[in-house]
Amino acid sequence: MADSPASPSDPPAIEIRDARVRLGDTEVLRGVTMMVPRGRMVALIGPNGSGKTTLLRCLLGLQRLGSGEIRLLGEPVGPKVLARVGYVPQRLQLEPSFTLSVREFLSLRRPETRGWFWQSHRRTDAQLHGTLEELGVGSLLNRPLAGLSGGQLQRVLIAYSLLSEPELLLLDEPTAGVDTPGENSFYELISAVHARHRMTVVLVSHDLAMVFRQASWVYALNGVICCQGHPEEVLNADSLKAAYGIHVTPYHHHHQSDGSSEAGQPIRFRRR
Amino acid sequence: MPDFLSEPFMQRALLVALALGPICGFLGVFVTARRMAFFSDTISHAALTGVAAGFLAGFDEPTVPVLLYCSLVAVAMLWLKERTQLLNDTIMAVLLSTSVAGGVVLLSLQRNRWAELDKFLLGDILSVGWMDVGIAWMVALLVVGILLWRLTPLVLLTTHEDLAHVGGIHVRALNYGFVILLTVAVSLTIRVLGILLVTSLIVLPPAIARSMSRNLRQHIILSFFVGIIGAGGGVMLSYPLNLPTGPTVTLTLGILFVLSLLVRRLQQDPTRDKPSP
Repeated sequence: MADSPASPSDPPAIEIRDARVRLGDTEVLRGVTMMVPRGRMVALIGPNGSGKTTLLRCLLGLQRLGSGEIRLLGEPVGPKVLARVGYVPQRLQLEPSFTLSVREFLSLRRPETRGWFWQSHRRTDAQLHGTLEELGVGSLLNRPLAGLSGGQLQRVLIAYSLLSEPELLLLDEPTAGVDTPGENSFYELISAVHARHRMTVVLVSHDLAMVFRQASWVYALNGVICCQGHPEEVLNADSLKAAYGIHVTPYHHHHQSDGSSEAGQPIRFRRR
Repeated sequence: MPDFLSEPFMQRALLVALALGPICGFLGVFVTARRMAFFSDTISHAALTGVAAGFLAGFDEPTVPVLLYCSLVAVAMLWLKERTQLLNDTIMAVLLSTSVAGGVVLLSLQRNRWAELDKFLLGDILSVGWMDVGIAWMVALLVVGILLWRLTPLVLLTTHEDLAHVGGIHVRALNYGFVILLTVAVSLTIRVLGILLVTSLIVLPPAIARSMSRNLRQHIILSFFVGIIGAGGGVMLSYPLNLPTGPTVTLTLGILFVLSLLVRRLQQDPTRDKPSP
């Protein structure tokens, strides 16, 4: 895995200059400029319709820019650099009749397991062993992917991404559809993976509590980057008003060291 | 060997069924997982215009015009999906209905061919020649070869198109390639089952195999063999029972489907084998 620390001479993980995208009559991205240094866990937040998904699609080469430039790991977006990028989508929307098992799904990612159709399960498991153990998905191998719970599926999707040893991991609303205990264990997993592999992690989310607990840097998007900084700097009333267009105040309990509130509940934000 | 298999026309029919049944079963796993059953139905109905246009152009056996017109409709469906805001179902319904209407209008211009309509609507596998057998086997080997060669990208594409893209797969090319393979298989299978029933050979084998499969590998292999059993068994049953061949193939698969549901029901019944108190 990408376990060597980023050198100061390494190009940034993500570099976006004046990115503009128009979808129909709406200019969704109106000149986004941002730079994500390597090795950080950052969050991209914004309300619905702020352009988060469009920006993510641009990063993945799924949406063309009207103008501007995006570079990932120092290279323009394309198949070559995407081989070094992991992506965890929000959901899969699988047809229940699709019998793909977790083992078969994970086998699709690595060149040595692409012969999954012909080889024994034992051989495939041996080739996947390290990642299965790290992420605790070994017990799910025989389960159909379409039958997993939200939390299990997210864990499997992370495992799938890590199999390609990415230097940059992009997660799109990773805990949508996951219950609160599943959400907590998911973020613990992401933090552990980030710490162990020292990769750059970008969480695209509208979950402000998650941002406060997990990210070291936050970008607030609403067509443009409205503000950026440490979570406690960005998550204040004025910044959130700029990003969300409404008055939102962070509602803090006293924090425990693990980021949870005193009462054991996640930090909530309330609208005024 | 049953007596009727000494008849050359039955030998040819069985050979064609044994070539096309399994490839439809294989393709069907992905057609159902990608919610494309209506897509294959549209392709098969589009064949009516291909048949009529072929007759008009002077073809006695309109396999080539059918293949060309069905491919055109398939590509048009993908193109409209990419370039318009129309719903998939709307696009398919438009192409299906206009193709059927176009076919009937073109056939009405050639009254001497009108009697042959049944042959294309319900299939006429007993009339295939050795050339058809050769084509069916060449296409079957080609389709299975391509599916096995591109299996991993196709599975990833079926799972999530964006993940496939990030995984370095040319999503658009693979989508078009899959649709062309499906179109070729459907166009040829019309000779076995006819325009009205061809989708049954695509949809029923994976549905039957589903209840006995714990993973995709098993599902593909079982669906492949159910395709062989359904198509081959239907052809063989139709002769001694003196039934139309295409509908017999579909009914054979239908019976297997009901049996598979019963087996699944028994497997899932929590009271099964439960000791009485």
